[in-house]
Amino acid sequence: MNNKSLGIIVALLLVVLLVSSSAFVVKETEKAVLLRFGELVRTYTEPGLYFKIPFAEKLRKFDARIQTVDSSPVRMLNSENKFMMVDSYAKYRISDVSKFYIATRGDERNAVRLLSERINDQLRNQFGVRDLHEVVSGERDELMAEITKNLNKVAQGDLGVEVIDVRVKRIDLPPEVSESVFQRMRAGRELEARDHRAKGQEASERIKANADRQKVVIESEAYRQAEELRGAGDAEAASIYAAAYTKNPEFYRFTRSLQAYRESFRSKSDMLLVDPDSEFFRYLKDPKGQ
Amino acid sequence: MAWNEPGGNNGKDPWGGGGGNRNNDGPPDLDELFRKVQQKLGGLFGGSPSTGTGKFPWMLVIVIAVLIYAGLGIYQVNANEQAVVLRLGKYHSTESAGLHWNPPLIDSVTKVNMTEVRTERTTGQMLTEDANIVEVVLTVQWQVSDAESFVLRVREPVKSLQEATDSALRHVVGSLTLNGVISQNRTQVSTDTQQRLQEYLDLYQTGIRIDVVNLTDAKAPREVQDAFDDVTKAREDEVRLQNEAQAYANQVIPVARGQAQRIIEEAEGYKARVVESARGEAVRFEKLLSEYERAPEVTRERLYLDAVQDVMSNTSKVMVDVEGGNNMMYLPLDKLTQESTSQAVQRKDTSPIVIEEVYQRIVERLRQDAASSRRSQTVR
Repeated sequence: MNNKSLGIIVALLLVVLLVSSSAFVVKETEKAVLLRFGELVRTYTEPGLYFKIPFAEKLRKFDARIQTVDSSPVRMLNSENKFMMVDSYAKYRISDVSKFYIATRGDERNAVRLLSERINDQLRNQFGVRDLHEVVSGERDELMAEITKNLNKVAQGDLGVEVIDVRVKRIDLPPEVSESVFQRMRAGRELEARDHRAKGQEASERIKANADRQKVVIESEAYRQAEELRGAGDAEAASIYAAAYTKNPEFYRFTRSLQAYRESFRSKSDMLLVDPDSEFFRYLKDPKGQ
Repeated sequence: MAWNEPGGNNGKDPWGGGGGNRNNDGPPDLDELFRKVQQKLGGLFGGSPSTGTGKFPWMLVIVIAVLIYAGLGIYQVNANEQAVVLRLGKYHSTESAGLHWNPPLIDSVTKVNMTEVRTERTTGQMLTEDANIVEVVLTVQWQVSDAESFVLRVREPVKSLQEATDSALRHVVGSLTLNGVISQNRTQVSTDTQQRLQEYLDLYQTGIRIDVVNLTDAKAPREVQDAFDDVTKAREDEVRLQNEAQAYANQVIPVARGQAQRIIEEAEGYKARVVESARGEAVRFEKLLSEYERAPEVTRERLYLDAVQDVMSNTSKVMVDVEGGNNMMYLPLDKLTQESTSQAVQRKDTSPIVIEEVYQRIVERLRQDAASSRRSQTVR
């Protein structure tokens, strides 16, 4: 009984071992190469269950999905001989797994290094003939498409890799250049600020001056009107006086003089030096007034 | 019998009666099969022929193994999820919500949350079209739209999204001016970035759909923020100066209008006064004139005397006989003036007395004059 069950377990284990070392699954996300004593004998690009000879054959699997080469920022010279920091990434996918295995010795890091060197090389070439403005705004898409195309020529042939896209993440200026950009920006803002303030003052002066002018105009018009009114009043009064006084000018002069005397001497502090021979004292001397 | 309890559905569980052969519920052919297998195995290893007690543990082991295997294959997909199923490594199907079973080891299942809106945020300084630098904070809200691609086509979909966002954003910002990014074209930044980003993601087969791209913040870099703030202040200053000037104008003009009206009204008043007084005086004169013409001599005399009396009674008088008087004459004008001002207070009451006094003085003086002239005549 014990011996028998032990035998069964051993047999089962052997079967499992055999199956597990010969059967393998290539997933949808993988591509694989089969090596017999180091020699590449088969490639697997379709997913599924496959078998191999245990121990003699070895399997190497690679990621068949789209992957990224994320290179660190690189200092590059542009056509204006200015430095800029360029940070890029590339998307690639293994297209020919046997070429890929041969070119990279099966090490993905190798592939990434080779690719990123080529990408940098391409970027350097492209950036070297363009100025900052062109790479920042104008020709990004064309630039990237061209780099992708150029890369594919070599990558597909040499590395068994299809480059899907190359993109520049950031194009930055080196710190010393950034500082001068900041200074320029600051100067530009100061210009703008001054412009706004000056415009404000201009508008303010204009509005105030206009108001002052209106004030003067209004007041002088009023003055003119007032003088006209006074003049009209004076004229009317004069004509009324004239009409009345021409009836007897001599009597007018008399009464007017009397009124003037009254007006002129109405206070005790006024003093009159009188000649006793004055007409007023006529009857003082002689009741007959002779 | 604890092993039997999970499979409590006795009628259907083929192993339900496996514990013993006492009840014949289980299909006999299976029992038969196991017995045969055991007999063969027993024969193979040269053991004793199987007995009731020897058969029991093997059955148990197999039953447990099968149950565990079957149980491991059961999984649940929630309403917001989809499950990508690979059978022997090959894409088999995408399952939606519900309870599913797939054979373990043969199938592999990856569940993906399809409805969760996830957010990525990118921030940094970047160059604009006019070679300025702008600081941008951008958030991207995204969902998985294609579970199969998301799981199978790209190695790190989320990292790809981050990289693509960086690239797309900088591309869009790089084709706009600083002012555009900061103010005028803010929405354009979002929409262009979204469009571009979706293109990249589709190219990379990430299975990601961008719901919305928000330009959370776009401002001048810290290094020049103060200068930009100053521009904002300057804009406010501009408006403030204008408003102040307008306030000044709003105050000055109405006041001027009011004053103008006052000047005119005063002139009207003057005119009315002048004309009316002229009329009044004219009428007065005419009335007086008509009386005068009736008796000119008398009226004239009366008027004259009235007037002179008025004058005389209200004024300090000093009578000087210039021709006959001394060449030297002392007039204490200041004292006279003082006196008259002190009396002026009660002028009206005292005036007759004063007149009387004046008369007395004059009479006195005349007498003295007359006496002296007589004396001089006698001397002569």
